[in-house]
Amino acid sequence: MEGISLAPQVLFYIKSFPVTNSFFWAVFLSLFLIIMHLIIRIRLKEIPGRLQNAFEVLIDGSYSLVKSVMENDKKAKKALPLIFTLFIFIMMANLATFIPGQSAISIKTPNGNVPLFRAIMADYSLIFIMTMISVITTQIVAIFVYGPFGYIFKFINIKELKNFFLELLKGRLKLGLLGQGFLDLFLGLMDIVGEIAKIISLSFRLFGNIFAGEVLGAVFLFLAPFIAPLPMQFLGLLTAIVQAFVFSILTLIFIKMAGDIGPEEVNS
Amino acid sequence: MELINVLGLDIKILIAQFVNFAIFFFVLYKFAYKPILKFLDDRKDKIENGIINAEKAEQKLLEIEDNEKKIIENAKIEAKNISKDIIDKATIFAEDKKVKMIEKAKQEIKTLIDQEKGSIEIQKAQTIKEIKREIADIVIASLEKIIDKKLNKEELTKTIKEISKE
Repeated sequence: MEGISLAPQVLFYIKSFPVTNSFFWAVFLSLFLIIMHLIIRIRLKEIPGRLQNAFEVLIDGSYSLVKSVMENDKKAKKALPLIFTLFIFIMMANLATFIPGQSAISIKTPNGNVPLFRAIMADYSLIFIMTMISVITTQIVAIFVYGPFGYIFKFINIKELKNFFLELLKGRLKLGLLGQGFLDLFLGLMDIVGEIAKIISLSFRLFGNIFAGEVLGAVFLFLAPFIAPLPMQFLGLLTAIVQAFVFSILTLIFIKMAGDIGPEEVNS
Repeated sequence: MELINVLGLDIKILIAQFVNFAIFFFVLYKFAYKPILKFLDDRKDKIENGIINAEKAEQKLLEIEDNEKKIIENAKIEAKNISKDIIDKATIFAEDKKVKMIEKAKQEIKTLIDQEKGSIEIQKAQTIKEIKREIADIVIASLEKIIDKKLNKEELTKTIKEISKE
């Protein structure tokens, strides 16, 4: 058994750019999915064929799900492409690991023997990028909804403190407002932590699941190559789809939450 | 920072992954999801319209069927009325004609009878006249025989004639 590494291994270099096995397959999968989508797009018919039918079921189901979360037709249409892209990309990447015989092939590189295939989602850099896209999209939606200043003051909440000092200038000492002000400030700052935690929780959930699945599969294959890995494979199949679903649906919920205006904000 | 190395986070790869994913997303968004969603929406509208139209058509058909039934019923009633009218008129006409014909026949019969009666009367009168004359002749003959030549023949005839006239 080759050493298990958290990082994808470098296959070859294009000039100084290291092409890792995960990255290579990510590009390959992207191209494959683009071509598939274009084929479906070009062959769109009023009476759907088999491929189009399957795709329609998928996209229609996603659309109704996104709509039920966003509670708005227009918003759902805006959110759907990103959510669906994430979903189908992660799902196909995960399912691609089930193509048999992958782990058997490795190529010789200056860094030693490197497996040609590696689960695309077992590459933290890609997951990190996707997570960043998800979280930054969330922030952009929040800025659009609250406005730039509203967005900043959502995290640095000094409204009540300001009220306290205004009251103090008028000669009234309201300790309740002071307490409320500090609490709001603290909660606002905690929100920043929450946003950062999102990045970590979202990315490591997916990465951990897929990477663990890979490692587990490899270990089982090493210990008991026949039949024993099968249950793990079935679980892996479940994980592959569930994790894709979880990642995209969490992104959707973040976007939805960012776009929601709480009752206090509506009043002010 | 060791974690970054272990995870294989390289700024070059990160940028490459971002570009890759961005292009992937952009292409799918621009050339696949947008048109596909639009297509699905259009088709949904089309199907909805189709269903609504079909419903409308069905309703209209029902209405038309209803109207048809009404028209047929009206026609039936009218036809009945007309035929009844015609029959009534015909009956009345026939009755009229019958009555008239009977009347005419009666009249004719009456005239015939009258004529017959007249001729019978005349015949009767003639017969009576003849009978009278014959009786008179017989009486004269018998009287001639009885009286014989005692009385003037001319006077006697005159007297008998007077008597028979009475």
